[in-house]
Amino acid sequence: MSDIPLPAAAETVRRVREDPHRLGHRDPHAHETVEGAGHGKTGPARKRIIVGYGFWIFLLSDIVMFSCFFAAFAVQREATAGGPGISELVDMRRVGWETGALLLSSYTCGLSFAATNVRSKLWTQIFLLATGLLGLIFVGLELLEFVDLASRGIVPQRSGFLSAFFGLVGLHGLHVTLAGMWLLTMMAQVQLKGFRPEIVHRLICFNLFWHALDIVWIGIFTIVYLMGATS
Amino acid sequence: MFGKLSWSAIPFDQPIPLITTLVLVLVILGVLGLVTFKGWWPYLWHEWITSVDHKRIGIMYILLGVVMLVRGFADAIMMRTQQAVAVNAPGYLEPEHYNQIFSAHGTIMIFFAAMPLVIGFMNFVTPLQLGVRDVAFPTMNSVSFWLTASGALLVNISLFIGEFARTGWLPYPPLSETAYSPGVGVDYYLWAVQISGIGTLMTGINFVTTVLKMRCPGMSYLRMPMFCWTTLASSLIIVAVFPILTATLAMLSLDRFFGWHFFTADAGGNPMMFMNLIWAWGHPEVYILVLPAFGIFSEIFSTFSGKPLFGYRSMVAATLFICIVSMMTWLHHFFTMGSGPAVNTAFGISTSIIAVGTGVKIYNWIFTMYGGRVRMSVPMLWSLGFIFTFVIGGMTGVLLAVPPADFLVHNSMFLVAHFHNVIVGGVVFALFAGLDFWFPKAFGFRLHEGWGKAAFWFSFFGFWITFTPLYILGLEGMTRRLQHVNVPEWQPMLILSAIGVGVIAIGVVCQVIMLLVSIIRRDQLRDESGDPWDGRSLEWATPSPAPFFNFATMPNVEGEEAYWGIKTRAIESQRLGPEPKYEPIEMPVHSPVGFFTAAFASVTGFALIWQIWWLAGLGFAAAIAGFVVFAWRDVHEFHVPAEEVAEVDRARRAARQKLLERLAAQEATA
Amino acid sequence: MSELEFDPAANADLLDHREDHAPGDEPVESAGHYVFNSNLGLGFSIVLTVAAFVLANSQLIYGPSIPIALLVLAIAQMGVHLVFFLHVTTGPDNTNNVLALAFGLLVVFLIVVGSIWIMNHLHANMMPMPMEQLRQMQP
Repeated sequence: MSDIPLPAAAETVRRVREDPHRLGHRDPHAHETVEGAGHGKTGPARKRIIVGYGFWIFLLSDIVMFSCFFAAFAVQREATAGGPGISELVDMRRVGWETGALLLSSYTCGLSFAATNVRSKLWTQIFLLATGLLGLIFVGLELLEFVDLASRGIVPQRSGFLSAFFGLVGLHGLHVTLAGMWLLTMMAQVQLKGFRPEIVHRLICFNLFWHALDIVWIGIFTIVYLMGATS
Repeated sequence: MFGKLSWSAIPFDQPIPLITTLVLVLVILGVLGLVTFKGWWPYLWHEWITSVDHKRIGIMYILLGVVMLVRGFADAIMMRTQQAVAVNAPGYLEPEHYNQIFSAHGTIMIFFAAMPLVIGFMNFVTPLQLGVRDVAFPTMNSVSFWLTASGALLVNISLFIGEFARTGWLPYPPLSETAYSPGVGVDYYLWAVQISGIGTLMTGINFVTTVLKMRCPGMSYLRMPMFCWTTLASSLIIVAVFPILTATLAMLSLDRFFGWHFFTADAGGNPMMFMNLIWAWGHPEVYILVLPAFGIFSEIFSTFSGKPLFGYRSMVAATLFICIVSMMTWLHHFFTMGSGPAVNTAFGISTSIIAVGTGVKIYNWIFTMYGGRVRMSVPMLWSLGFIFTFVIGGMTGVLLAVPPADFLVHNSMFLVAHFHNVIVGGVVFALFAGLDFWFPKAFGFRLHEGWGKAAFWFSFFGFWITFTPLYILGLEGMTRRLQHVNVPEWQPMLILSAIGVGVIAIGVVCQVIMLLVSIIRRDQLRDESGDPWDGRSLEWATPSPAPFFNFATMPNVEGEEAYWGIKTRAIESQRLGPEPKYEPIEMPVHSPVGFFTAAFASVTGFALIWQIWWLAGLGFAAAIAGFVVFAWRDVHEFHVPAEEVAEVDRARRAARQKLLERLAAQEATA
Repeated sequence: MSELEFDPAANADLLDHREDHAPGDEPVESAGHYVFNSNLGLGFSIVLTVAAFVLANSQLIYGPSIPIALLVLAIAQMGVHLVFFLHVTTGPDNTNNVLALAFGLLVVFLIVVGSIWIMNHLHANMMPMPMEQLRQMQP
């Protein structure tokens, strides 16, 4: 800003061009405008930004729901009612395979989105399929784990601890299953409708969801399984 | 085949629910018959049931809330009259029935009256005040409403098929576990609240996104009307805490349906964990209700004092402060459960601290009035009544925040009087004020002022006559939820309280008359200009009722109180701004997905309650299938040609021109 | 209405060419850059995961500190996911995302730590139960 005052008319023209909404220069970067950041200079954000942000907020609410089950697990960790405790439940090799499958699926999911960005239907579908198969392996291993536990009489009806364990791990597995069904729908939509804007928006949301599920699994395998095995 | 459902579920042997059911069924059939006979179904289907317009959805929410408010009030009348007569006597309501009534009263009032009403206002007003055409996710908005309606439907069905919970409005275990509540009552509660809770969570997501990402050009954060800030804060709390409700009720459902042990009294279950989690939701819930109420009052105080809101930035700060601290106080609902002095003290302090935020707001409202030209309209009366009532209620709250004091009055009538004091004085008064304030914007004509004032005075005095005796009884040791009373000295106060309920009932009748008279005399009460109250925010820039696209051209905002600046400029220059260039507008198409999702949710909920597993599975699959079908649609917007926009807007400008001329004439004669 | 009409093109020269976006959505980033980030993310995650499994199953570090170490590794890996897979950074195009995340983390902290704190105190204050009663509590 110069010290020499401009003539009034030029001043007005400059002000109108640079700051049409009289937002003022409290913000030192007032001339920079990040569209969609919500500071009001550019009006309502575009649909892609709105959809992505809305889904991010939903994800945070889902994380809160998981945290309630984590809290219940923490509180009822010792409430075994004379039954089996956590160290009897952990099969380290199976957990290792589950973790590996889900982590890899997160990676392939990211790759599928890179393919979407360059509008390659083939590679999007290939990587989505890989994600789905790895997810299927994860869910399959988890189901095997539950069946195995049940055959040993280790069921949620046995104690508060087991209710909390099956509740937390089961909730995550349920989310992965539902995400898998969503993935199939997305693959069908991509195949039949291509990369229309709303399809891309849904792929953004799917990406977010799948990565978030892996983040929750990090919490589960650490707190439930690894800490459980070392207790 | 039909699970636990059988003919014995219908209460043939209980006269009150039976007669109520018969009357309700007749009324519903009558309404449906009238609609069919008059051929209104296409209109209702295309314009309301499948609407994704935030204004229509807001009106439907408010309608649902008002109907359920009446049902909840009927429960209240029954409770007060029962307690007034059942002193060393059985009264007219058996314990099994009375327990369902107080449980239904609380559940309905919180989940199906207050929440829909508050959300209805958020829906109707927020996009208009932000200067945009709709919320971030209009179709999801419709789903939210219909899921809430589905929950309300389930609660009402419990009146005549089966029973309702007897556990109070929060189903504490072990009482709510299968061992002690083997019937379907708690299951009705669980599914009604879970289904509507999903709808509410979607609303929270919708409004956080709308307020943060969708504002008209120039409307920076600190230029938003106060109501939009409170919508944001309330929606943030919804997003943060409704998952807790979902998780906790899901855990209870797992206990009940599959014999798990989250909260059972045996096998390592921990009933106290339920109280902890449910109040971690329950306390922020009341702030979800009260923050938009505060927002409504902010709008009303500034409009009817003719002054900008005093201390806007401190209001914003106070709102966000309340939003965050509301999630740190929940233990004060169970001080007496035994967590000890350290924990109790910490939460006692946080509870006292949160009152500071509200105190800032109260002072700001009072300072807004000071120096302004205060108009004693109906909304202003409700607002003044609120200041008086809510401050006293808040003070009793601060008393309860002190753990040693709480040990004496926890779960007594003092507590009951306190929370009604703040919810009725805060939320209900705000809702009536807001109804009167925004009614012309929704329907194009004002509400009759005389009957509105009568309604206020009866409600205000009725409230105090009802609840002051309850404060006294609480201090004398009367516990809450008593089906009969063994202390004859308490009867005079109980009778006085019942009389108070009668006075409130007169207030309710006045509201109904007000509505009928206003509809009959709507031409005299017509709002021609769209700005009947000399408003200050953008919703008053639209015609009354607002067109479906809200604004022909999105407003450009240059300062706080966007509309006030535009209006002042127009009045000073004695002319409207130039006619804008009209562009075609894209609006979202209507969709039946909300209605169908909720219909299937109701079927699934009912089937789960009665353990009709095949029907539950079918309903759930149908809901998923319906959603996939919806996701397959190719057309999601329709085109409004520029000529149509121009026509609507030119009519608006003509009305504004007339308003300008009228104001100029007034100035000339003044 | 106002004299100044909203012209979306008017601010074009003033616009920063970054735009706000959802975590993980990087439309202006090249695919190569995106894949590189994903590779880095996978690499770090594998290292952190293997480290956690190894620590849990061996005597490499002092026993009682293992839970803390595991927690640190978990938080680190969550951070890796957020930064490399979801691109949650501290740029101005991500402020809303970071604020929302911070809010969510606050809520999670309040629920988990709050519940543990409260329930521990409750547990400490409850009547101790003799062994026979405990056994009677089995289903």
